[in-house]
Amino acid sequence: MEINKRTEGMNGLKVTVMVYGRYKDIAGKETIQLDITEGDTLRDVINVFVKHYPITQKDKSRMIVTKNKMYTSYDTKVTEEDEITIAPPIVSGG
Amino acid sequence: MFISQQYAVKRDIGEMMMKNRYRRQTLVSEVGQNGQDVLATKHVTVIGGGGLGSNSANMMVRMGIGSIDIIDYDTVEISNLHRTSVFTEDDVGKPKALTLQDRLQQVNRNVHVKAINKKVTSENIEALVVDTDIIIDGTDSVPLRLLINDISIRHNIPWVYAGVYETVGMVMGILPKHTACFQCVTQNILESKDQETPVLGSLPATIAAIQCNETIKLLLGRHPKGLIIYDVWNQCFDTMDIQRNPTCPTCGNK
Repeated sequence: MEINKRTEGMNGLKVTVMVYGRYKDIAGKETIQLDITEGDTLRDVINVFVKHYPITQKDKSRMIVTKNKMYTSYDTKVTEEDEITIAPPIVSGG
Repeated sequence: MFISQQYAVKRDIGEMMMKNRYRRQTLVSEVGQNGQDVLATKHVTVIGGGGLGSNSANMMVRMGIGSIDIIDYDTVEISNLHRTSVFTEDDVGKPKALTLQDRLQQVNRNVHVKAINKKVTSENIEALVVDTDIIIDGTDSVPLRLLINDISIRHNIPWVYAGVYETVGMVMGILPKHTACFQCVTQNILESKDQETPVLGSLPATIAAIQCNETIKLLLGRHPKGLIIYDVWNQCFDTMDIQRNPTCPTCGNK
């Protein structure tokens, strides 16, 4: 139901998300706007991002996500004023 | 010529060679002779002697670091050769750390290169790095990086994370009490389940070079600025500004 509301933009809230690495190529731009509803968390923002760009699904649980330049829990609430960034997961090969 | 005169001449030639060796680097205004002299006093520890670690150790030795410890307990495999620039086919089966010591000591006899043929564990890491000025990450596992991160924060030792996967590389300089730490950016990150990490052969040398740049900057007193992301295939080079997380279990409020 919430996803439907977001898709239709009924609540009118939007959050600005800066994307990094290959996500820029996937999104076709550096900054995107995603629909949110009041009380949404970073996890909800990630869900909306993945819904828009399904190719990023495999990264979903490991994305580097910051709110106001700080890495915080995916359960942190977001508002329209927050600056969100999303980057591909940390790589660990050597 | 008296023996003392011969010694003096030899010493002068040695000093001249030293100056000549780094001449082009000392011309860099951000380094200068003073910076070069500082580098000659520094002790660097490279943990891991594979694709990243061997390339980084190679560059640090050439740039005139004072002393370098290279820690690795593994042996060279044929599958390592596509992404390193130091090992040869004749090295296959030999210990990585000792091979790097032999090879790199020949590159620059003014640098003290020491091989430590050991596996880094939570029991021995403190003794291995406590006297170092900076740690260079040449590992291939998140748990080991978290161990490095933990000791870095506890002992106020800067370190430079680097990682590669397929065509993506990342680097982050970590300066305790000033920058976000590795835990700050990995709280939700799971270890890769890949048996063997897929890596484009040219990528580790590229990322190792960026890692060495960050290392030199840290050693010369410049603060790092976030996570560097280089994506070869999508041709993008980004820096992601990440601030310290006050609730980070490792560096928060320290």
